[in-house]
Amino acid sequence: MKKDKDQIKQLLVSIVGQENISGEVPDLIPYIRDSYSTMMGRNIPLPDFVVMPETVDEVQKIVLLANDYLIPIYPRSIGVNIAGSALPYKEGGIILDLKRMNKILEINEDTMTATIQPGVTWGQLRKEANKKKLDIIPIGGPYQTSPVGNHLLTNITPYSSKYHCDRAMTLKVILPNGKILRTGSWASEHGGDANPYFRYAYGPDITGMFRGSLGNFGIIVEMVERLRPVAPVEKEIAFGFKELGPCLKALQAIERLEFTRTCQVYNNILAAHLCLAPHRIKEPGEREKLLAKLPPYQLGIGLGGTEEMVALFEKITAEEAGKRGGYSVPVELELESVAKGASRAIMHMYAPLSGFAAIIGCLPITHVAEINDIVKEAVKKYDVRDPLTGEPQEHELIVIPYDRSSTVYVEQEILYDPAADRATLEPVMQCLRECYAKIVVQYGASHTIPNKTLMKMLVPSYGELLVNFKKMVDPNGIMLPGGPYSLE
Amino acid sequence: MLTDYRSTIYHCLKCGACKQAFDIYMPICPSGMKYGFDSHYAIGRISLARAIIDGEINLDTALMHRVYTCTHCGACDEQCHDAVGVDPLRVIQELKYEAVDKGLIPPEVRDYLKNMNVYGNPYMLPAEDRGKWSLNLDIKSFAHQEYLFYVGDMGSYDALGQQIARSVAKALVAAGISFGILGDKEMTDGNEINLVGEKGLYEYLATANINLFKELGIKKIITLSPHAYNAFKNDYPAWGGDFEVQHYSQVLAQAISNKKLKVKGIKKVKVTFHDPCFLGRHNKEYDAPRQILKAIPGVELVEMERSRNNALCCGGGGGNFFTDMLGSGTKSPSRIRVHEAIDTGAKIIATTCPKCFNMLDDAIKAENAEDQITIKDLSQFLL
Repeated sequence: MKKDKDQIKQLLVSIVGQENISGEVPDLIPYIRDSYSTMMGRNIPLPDFVVMPETVDEVQKIVLLANDYLIPIYPRSIGVNIAGSALPYKEGGIILDLKRMNKILEINEDTMTATIQPGVTWGQLRKEANKKKLDIIPIGGPYQTSPVGNHLLTNITPYSSKYHCDRAMTLKVILPNGKILRTGSWASEHGGDANPYFRYAYGPDITGMFRGSLGNFGIIVEMVERLRPVAPVEKEIAFGFKELGPCLKALQAIERLEFTRTCQVYNNILAAHLCLAPHRIKEPGEREKLLAKLPPYQLGIGLGGTEEMVALFEKITAEEAGKRGGYSVPVELELESVAKGASRAIMHMYAPLSGFAAIIGCLPITHVAEINDIVKEAVKKYDVRDPLTGEPQEHELIVIPYDRSSTVYVEQEILYDPAADRATLEPVMQCLRECYAKIVVQYGASHTIPNKTLMKMLVPSYGELLVNFKKMVDPNGIMLPGGPYSLE
Repeated sequence: MLTDYRSTIYHCLKCGACKQAFDIYMPICPSGMKYGFDSHYAIGRISLARAIIDGEINLDTALMHRVYTCTHCGACDEQCHDAVGVDPLRVIQELKYEAVDKGLIPPEVRDYLKNMNVYGNPYMLPAEDRGKWSLNLDIKSFAHQEYLFYVGDMGSYDALGQQIARSVAKALVAAGISFGILGDKEMTDGNEINLVGEKGLYEYLATANINLFKELGIKKIITLSPHAYNAFKNDYPAWGGDFEVQHYSQVLAQAISNKKLKVKGIKKVKVTFHDPCFLGRHNKEYDAPRQILKAIPGVELVEMERSRNNALCCGGGGGNFFTDMLGSGTKSPSRIRVHEAIDTGAKIIATTCPKCFNMLDDAIKAENAEDQITIKDLSQFLL
């Protein structure tokens, strides 16, 4: 069925009201850019409309309308978008801006969960949870990001080693075909609403299907998110190491004792960047001064429990670190706030100039030092320069244990100046490509999101399954068509 | 030139820190809260600026609502500065400068500027009326007293502004401060003229004011409005206007602390303080007004969740008080602010800015909340 733009607009107005839809170019432009499109030098076409629904019913009606008229839909939660996953890759679509769906529907002290809408931010959730002596499970993202968006992006920065990254319990989803799906125990037609808290009900883990799906399979309109109790004493401690190897060994040993709340390894470059606000880092000598103070590698540990428990854990942790050459270092305030989650300082990771190319992989801890060397060598080979000083760049490194095993999440960042011309950016891109090729092919480091090119190349059978699933729930192909993450 | 900000514009990470305040995790952008689309937040305005410098769109009248609904409250900078360091307000200001240069300004802004050009004030009233607020008060014209008390357009012409000017003047007299006024010689300070983008007129006015102040031997200035305080303190030095400038709340707080101003007690009441953006965020003065309130026996100071550096703008900044580009309605920041004040249990909102006073006074009426809360200028507690 075909209708012209004005007719579609009228239909959308009848759903969300005049003031919550715009087709004016100045209102559309802000939705076609992010750091990804800048880095790739990619021009993103204009959508036809941006629409801001407030209720589940409105979202469903919009999706049904999009199916009727075959209009692409690109949902976004609160609007933090740096990875290209919410850009409207096909011309003439609808941006579904979900920021008005910003309600915390319930915080349940018994189940230690929160039921939230997609426009709720981590900061907002933390504030409300704290009122009930609960807290969010630490994340690597900043306070203004959305737990729902984070789930769709894999929740892969679990600063918490204790709670793993599967924080979403159940979901209410508007599927691309317009049907409502509830997952886990919430799915039950009889009593599901009385118990929306249990993820692993009725067979395979459908909540997990949506993790890392980047929205391909539908729009999460409500999510039950796991919280954690605030311990009587919570403390961050840190140990310095001269070499990466012993630091990783210490991390592994301490994690095996199974009492840490959070755990992460930073190299000094990342630690310095996290500690320095953007204006401070631009002052000559500031970063160098801090680098001289910081250990080359730093193991940060978050402890929680009673006073006695924390004292004991601290003692044991210090012994384990000490055995491997680690020495106690003060915890910088910014690093403490990052480890606790929903921080502002995490944004400094992308400073000083907001351009960053991330090399991400999950692999056994035994290979981390090697892939760190791969990035180091590639940066040298392509003569990637520090965007602030023009000197040869040293990359950022963070290692986080994943799922309490020896598999770790490793992120290495190369910074660049997004205002620089394409020629200046080219060595960064070459470096990025080479690093990925090596760590993926040689070490099997897995990426965490469904990048179309990587899926075709590396995991065709897996990709086929996901594409078929996508076809089943999105027969008209309206959800997120085009773009690098679309499972068309 | 917008292109001078290319690097800043490209460094916007699109993280959305400009939408929500850190620590309190609440919405902070008045125009974004009202209109919702990203185009009405700093994140969107930066995107538009980038599309302009990249040649994808032109700065044209279609963009003006997105640009001029910005109240220049500085809440976006407050969040972004320590997170990403883009400081979007400079870019938004540049968009306004270019809009004026290219003759693209909306009719509301055009009319405001026309009145400022023709009458020297937005009320279209004669200059002779400027000193009328001081009638029947024993206040002298400036003649080498220690301070000039500068009341500005609102203190001179606006009925509520005049009341505030009178109460501040009385408090200054009670504190034994030696001051004079300019009366019909006073000219607009130009802060809002600059903020709507007419920098040529602003420079002209600033220079005229500086020359006048110098001719009269003025060295120290007390301002009624935080907006004039901002102009004199931060902008005038660039044109040679090196005066010692204080907002009246700073002078009175000092007088109370030095025991030069005796404070009478009032009947026990909860009071919440609304931080004016141009005293707070733009000039980092959060304590002086609170010191005064705390010194008043009977006042119990209760804070709104959005206070100090995270205070929510009343919506009257950036020229909006006169142009009303932001518009009215239930989602107006001043009306949201009134509810926020009521939620603290306060019976009075105290403030130190005639624009904020007017905006919140109107909002209390629009919300039919007169029986729940009232508004007072800080000086009115001291009479």
